[in-house]
Amino acid sequence: MSAQYTPFEMIAYTGSRVLEDNKIVFVGTGLPIIASMHAQLTHAPGLGLIFEAGPLAPIMDMGMPLSVGDTRACRKACFLKGLCGVFELTQRGHSDFAFIGGAQIDMYGNINSTFEGGTYINAKTRFPGSGGAGAMAANCEKTIAIMALEPRRFSNELDFVTSIGYGDGSPDYREKAGVSGSGPYRVITNEALFGFDEKTRRMVLLEVLPGRTADDIQKKVSFELIISPNLKEMAEPSADDLKLLREKCDPDGYFLARKLK
Amino acid sequence: MKQTEVCSAIKNISKIQPAELDKTAGGYGDFEWWGLSPEAARKVMVNKSKALTDKTTTTKEAVNRFVKDGMNIAIGGFVNTRPPVSIIHEIIRHGAKDLTLSFQSNSICPELLAGAMLLYPNQVSIKRVELAWWGYEVIGIAPLLRHLNANGMIMMDDYTNYGMSARFKAAAMGIEFIPVRDHGGSSMELTNRGKMIKSPFSGKHTYLVPACYPDLGLIHATAADKFGNCRIFGAHCTCPEIAMASAHTIVTAEQIISNDNIRTYPNLTEIPFSAVDAVIEQRFGSYPGICYGHHWFDMEHILMFRSASDEFRKSGNTDKLKKYYDEYIFGCETFDDFIGKLPYKTLKKMRDLDGGQPIITA
Repeated sequence: MSAQYTPFEMIAYTGSRVLEDNKIVFVGTGLPIIASMHAQLTHAPGLGLIFEAGPLAPIMDMGMPLSVGDTRACRKACFLKGLCGVFELTQRGHSDFAFIGGAQIDMYGNINSTFEGGTYINAKTRFPGSGGAGAMAANCEKTIAIMALEPRRFSNELDFVTSIGYGDGSPDYREKAGVSGSGPYRVITNEALFGFDEKTRRMVLLEVLPGRTADDIQKKVSFELIISPNLKEMAEPSADDLKLLREKCDPDGYFLARKLK
Repeated sequence: MKQTEVCSAIKNISKIQPAELDKTAGGYGDFEWWGLSPEAARKVMVNKSKALTDKTTTTKEAVNRFVKDGMNIAIGGFVNTRPPVSIIHEIIRHGAKDLTLSFQSNSICPELLAGAMLLYPNQVSIKRVELAWWGYEVIGIAPLLRHLNANGMIMMDDYTNYGMSARFKAAAMGIEFIPVRDHGGSSMELTNRGKMIKSPFSGKHTYLVPACYPDLGLIHATAADKFGNCRIFGAHCTCPEIAMASAHTIVTAEQIISNDNIRTYPNLTEIPFSAVDAVIEQRFGSYPGICYGHHWFDMEHILMFRSASDEFRKSGNTDKLKKYYDEYIFGCETFDDFIGKLPYKTLKKMRDLDGGQPIITA
């Protein structure tokens, strides 16, 4: 019998599982930071973080940074410059993982975080914009995305491609785009974990929440999913994992205590 | 629409209609500099005195001297980290119209200018913004940006955080453009003013972004001497590049330190005196943002301003927003007057939350 957890705790825990020891992850605000902190505290003590305002491999002993340039994100770093410094390391191949969010994703892992509805000039809902995400998805080696599982978000057609995935799925899309990373790797939701098919570059359902079926997940996705022949159940966080997440990673509940809309 | 001989396959997946692309920064007419041209920016620098003179002044004097209508103003810091809030307050009091703003990611600075534009359009107005991100991170989206964009009140030119940083860096290097490995294959390739080319060496596709030479850079530094040599602790953000890209730069520093101290650790100087035109000692100059080694950010104050902004966006009611400007900006002669309105306990809490990070100022 597993412990009770919130949807965001499941996302953070799954994010932690996807990360690897002795690698560098370039993180956005919120759940990516929490997932990376959990990974450092458990299976990946040698995981280094990059925050885009400038630090590489800080020690987060004052708690979760609330902003990717704040004091907690910079404290006790091994290397601390500015945006040019860390993004240029990324172009050079130092960042193994990009860990980003977004508003919409398509079957090829392209992500929109610029606007939804209306036009680019007069958006119904303008979002903050690319920030670092577009550069991270282009040049970190592998991209991990976090998204809420809804048909509106797992979309056939994006209003704007902010962060490059596999484009139209053609084999040379990324090369023609002039980017250097290999592209989308995992998409994490609270009900499913996705990967990408090597041949078609389309999104593949790898794991489902215990009790869910592939069909349940397909109903929440606007495009046709490839279902892995080895479909697995997602691992659930143990009581110890939840204790770490709640007490060490996000003790004030900024991200983990939120309710799913 | 942007005419390029070389492009990625973004058109295969883009939903943006050609007629709409014609109205974007990248598709609208021929390329133009939104700030200075590289030649004009060099000329300004060549014509400046390079003397080690005392550049300390007041924010009011600096803003009077350097802020003009129609300028491109670059905002330093990054989101809530070292935003140059004290200079923004003074610009709002001074008034500035038809501004172009340039920054990578910022929160309260462009929102304060946007609020001033919505409340007092004859005092402050923003014509266009070249940026990567405008929001409050953990605190939420920027309501006034959303309002301005939904109502077509500003032109926006979107890049990534690296793209904007590289554009400032190119200007700091005195060059016209810089190759980057992002934007290609995203919709930004269609909408922004960058261009895809074939590398003259390998023939591979390479995205170029134009340099950004602002008229005026606004920087809050950890420490500076009276000549303008600046030290920055914590994340540098893109502050050194912005200061060196801009035709003129105003620096507020948490603390003025001696030139002797600067010369003891010359490696620690991130911005040289020749790139700085005015220096103001302004404690809490980034409030309600963060200044590493001095203070953390004040989430409650940001929430107060943000909720007043959001109420305006949702209901059109300007009462709370006006009250904020009346109380904290127009009701203050100087930024010290504004900080003086904050409870001691607030300032103490912010200092405590910084944890006394080690910085070198003596």
